[in-house]
Amino acid sequence: MVDALREVHRVLAPGGILVDARPDSRVPAYAERQKVRGYQRFGVVSTNRVELANDRSSDRAIATVVSERLFKHGRRGRFWHRVPFENLPALRAYLREHLRFVHTANWVVDAATRRRFADEPFVIRRAVRFELLER
Amino acid sequence: MSGAAVHLRGDVGKRLPAMSSALRPAPLVELREWGGEDLVRGKRVLDLGCGDGRFALGVAPFAARVEGLDADPDAIAAAKRNARRSGSRNVRFAVGAAQHLPYPGADFDVVILSWTL
Repeated sequence: MVDALREVHRVLAPGGILVDARPDSRVPAYAERQKVRGYQRFGVVSTNRVELANDRSSDRAIATVVSERLFKHGRRGRFWHRVPFENLPALRAYLREHLRFVHTANWVVDAATRRRFADEPFVIRRAVRFELLER
Repeated sequence: MSGAAVHLRGDVGKRLPAMSSALRPAPLVELREWGGEDLVRGKRVLDLGCGDGRFALGVAPFAARVEGLDADPDAIAAAKRNARRSGSRNVRFAVGAAQHLPYPGADFDVVILSWTL
């Protein structure tokens, strides 16, 4: 990973910008029911351990090239992104297959409530973080 | 809900996880969060780990030139198909590894690692 970042430094013009954007595994994602206005939280979705380790490895790679003075920290931030699903079974099927998340949500509503609204639209709301690094 | 999510409803949830790029925010949504079109306007842009070209093609209307690089030949084939469909003339895609970038030095103003690192 550090090798790739050094290559990025090589191909960037002086003063150029490297944008690092990726899901923010430091905060959980949420399974939410879409209402007419707004959303109702149904569950919390954690990132699996392997992806957490990968993210930490990426963080270390960035820290390394910054310490080598190849890049300087620039503007950074976080925003939320919603992935829509037609219904709750579709969301659950997605979680079962998805590699980044654990395979089931930690539900914060009871089973009866989940059944009651199962056919309504759902989303997974996840955080995306970004940083602009200056060469 | 973001505009991207509204746009995707109806497809996403049925075909996941195969449509990996559909899981991401729309390119212009991401670009706006990063600071807006000025970040790439008139610039030479490299989208590293470009996948099916989703982001590269999204920013192409603003950039002077966009190169997309990905290690997956299938993804690059898809990116080239998408480029032909979009009619973008300032975008090129190639298979390659991030550890050995096939470009001379100082060739880009912006390098994007969108959901890549």
